[in-house]
Amino acid sequence: MQAEQTETDSAQDLLARIAQGETAALERFYDQYHARVYAFALSRLGNTADAADILNEVMLEVWRHANRFEGRSRPLTWVLGIAHHKAIDQLRRRKEPHVDVDEVDIPDDVPTAADALAGLEDAERVRQCVEKLSAAHRLVVHLAFYDDLSYPEIAVLADCPVGTVKTRMFHARQLLKRCLAGWTKISGQHRP
Amino acid sequence: MSEPKHPEDLLPWYVNGTLAPEELRQVEAHLGACAHCRKEVALLKGLRERIRQAGAEAGPGALARQRLLRDIRKPARNRRPVWFPTVAIAATLVIALQAAIIASLWQSPSGTIVPLGSVPPQEAVLQVRFAPGATEAQIRAAIGEVHGRFVDGPGALGVYRIRLEGLGRDQREQIDRQVAWLRQQSPVIAHVEYE
Repeated sequence: MQAEQTETDSAQDLLARIAQGETAALERFYDQYHARVYAFALSRLGNTADAADILNEVMLEVWRHANRFEGRSRPLTWVLGIAHHKAIDQLRRRKEPHVDVDEVDIPDDVPTAADALAGLEDAERVRQCVEKLSAAHRLVVHLAFYDDLSYPEIAVLADCPVGTVKTRMFHARQLLKRCLAGWTKISGQHRP
Repeated sequence: MSEPKHPEDLLPWYVNGTLAPEELRQVEAHLGACAHCRKEVALLKGLRERIRQAGAEAGPGALARQRLLRDIRKPARNRRPVWFPTVAIAATLVIALQAAIIASLWQSPSGTIVPLGSVPPQEAVLQVRFAPGATEAQIRAAIGEVHGRFVDGPGALGVYRIRLEGLGRDQREQIDRQVAWLRQQSPVIAHVEYE
């Protein structure tokens, strides 16, 4: 927790320097956050070229508008919020639905955690199971497990109530368990 | 006596270490007495580890940083100087020239140059980034093996678009096989995705 606070302080300092036009500060900020932003965009868009574009746009926005960071959230949450909105814009341009619907059939029968654990041994299987999730479920899973965001932070970023975040995570876990246990076929169907 | 309620909805955030102190105490007390939830936690920890591994393996490449540093030197869109249109036209011409040169480098054996961006939507296209040390011969061999044809690129980040000859988008099994094979060619292929 202390390391996280130090990282936040350091990033806030960097943002203040970026707002003054200091390129070296932007480079350090980039080093600190580019992997998170890129992985987030890749998770949302499923395409490396688009993810790289989003990363570039987000960092340009940080460069031009660092003074808009008000310190009400962690810099990570702020920067992922920018990426989230840019990803939605990108999906709009592709004419794909950007509204994260929860209208996915959630089966009642779910394998045990022990049955699903075996599926974790195959990294490719895990990747395919995560990719099969709906955009709304994948977003929550990514932010919780890759970015270690709390559920209130995810609720702010995804612009939904905390109860919705918990429900989406619960349903995502059920679907992932079924997939990891081999109860559902991995079609390999490309997103979305 | 009724069974205590499992704090299922808090377990993912117990695993990522972001629960509030009171919630943390509640979950820890429950886990001490509940084998079911301990197994759930084991599964969630494993899942988190796999997702973090996958994220760490994917990266935008060194060129992304150069692209950003180049772009921050450009004036913002709403502050374009009066000479901007001239420079933009010149830049477009340079890009078009580069594209033509690259297309000629990847000429097919029959001598036909495939125009950029001409891939019909029903054809299978991959996005590929090559390893920095890959030689042209290695690249040709790898792409030839999957009957690939360069149709676009490189993008700003060195991403090429490659069409899989004779495969349609509906032939996912064969496409996945080709993608899996390319992913194994790590000395040559840095990254490959089905578009």
